[in-house]
Amino acid sequence: MAKVPRSFRLLSELEHGEKGIGDGSCSYGLKDGDDLAMYEWNGTILGPPHSSYENRIFSLSIYCGDKYPDLPPLVKFESKVNLPCVDQQNGLVDLSRIPSLANWKRDFTLETILVELRRDMASPVNRKNPQPLEGAEYPPADLQTLAKNRKV
Amino acid sequence: MSLPKRILKETERLLADSPPGITAAPKDDNLRHFDVTVAGPDSSPYQGGVFKLELFLPEEYPMNPPKVRFLTKVYHPNIDKLGRICLDILKDKWSPALQIRTVLLSIQALLGAPNPDDPLANDVAQHWKDDEKDAIAEAKRWTQQYAQ
Repeated sequence: MAKVPRSFRLLSELEHGEKGIGDGSCSYGLKDGDDLAMYEWNGTILGPPHSSYENRIFSLSIYCGDKYPDLPPLVKFESKVNLPCVDQQNGLVDLSRIPSLANWKRDFTLETILVELRRDMASPVNRKNPQPLEGAEYPPADLQTLAKNRKV
Repeated sequence: MSLPKRILKETERLLADSPPGITAAPKDDNLRHFDVTVAGPDSSPYQGGVFKLELFLPEEYPMNPPKVRFLTKVYHPNIDKLGRICLDILKDKWSPALQIRTVLLSIQALLGAPNPDDPLANDVAQHWKDDEKDAIAEAKRWTQQYAQ
């Protein structure tokens, strides 16, 4: 199979994201429409119904490094959320704690990550987790530096 | 990973005998992914500039067109901020009879013939329609700033 390079992979993800995904429960796009390198992305997850996350919109930042999609992106919640895979100090997501994402595959996308995070919210063990005050946010972080120093 | 003969042949010819003002060479780690340069056509606002692009031949090539984008910033109504190109042969007018070479020549020709009536970068196209002289001056400035 032809190996789609990072840039064209991200361009097609961007187009897909701009059209809107499925039922609109997740969305994502480039943080800065001028960023030729397409490093920084925004994501949102609409809290699943019948859970403690219901009726909330969770904002995320996603950093796609030079090795994406061979390596997963760095994912950080901006909105505070009580979910075991999220570091409560800084909002960073530990993808290895989500079974479906623990073994990263090249064909996983930003959409895969958002959809799986939402599924994790709705899972029987997490759906009743008490949630922080709405509107609370994690402190801002320099994802580029974090991504560079990340141990993989 | 073995490449279809057609791609090998096209690559060989591009390396041995590339069209004037155009270079294209496959990357070492992915022979379907090319580093490309295109010289701005004479008597266009892009004259004197050398523009970097990347090109990728998808699995379905040549039934489907190559994917191409500019890596150098360029002020042009049919090229957007992410370097995406609005060109019919990269979309519905693609034919398997076309080649990498013809695609790159068409992109070079597009630099010489901006078409603000079929825009991808709406703000740039509007500038072109409102004040073509000023838009061309801006395109020249960008060429000098980014495409050297």
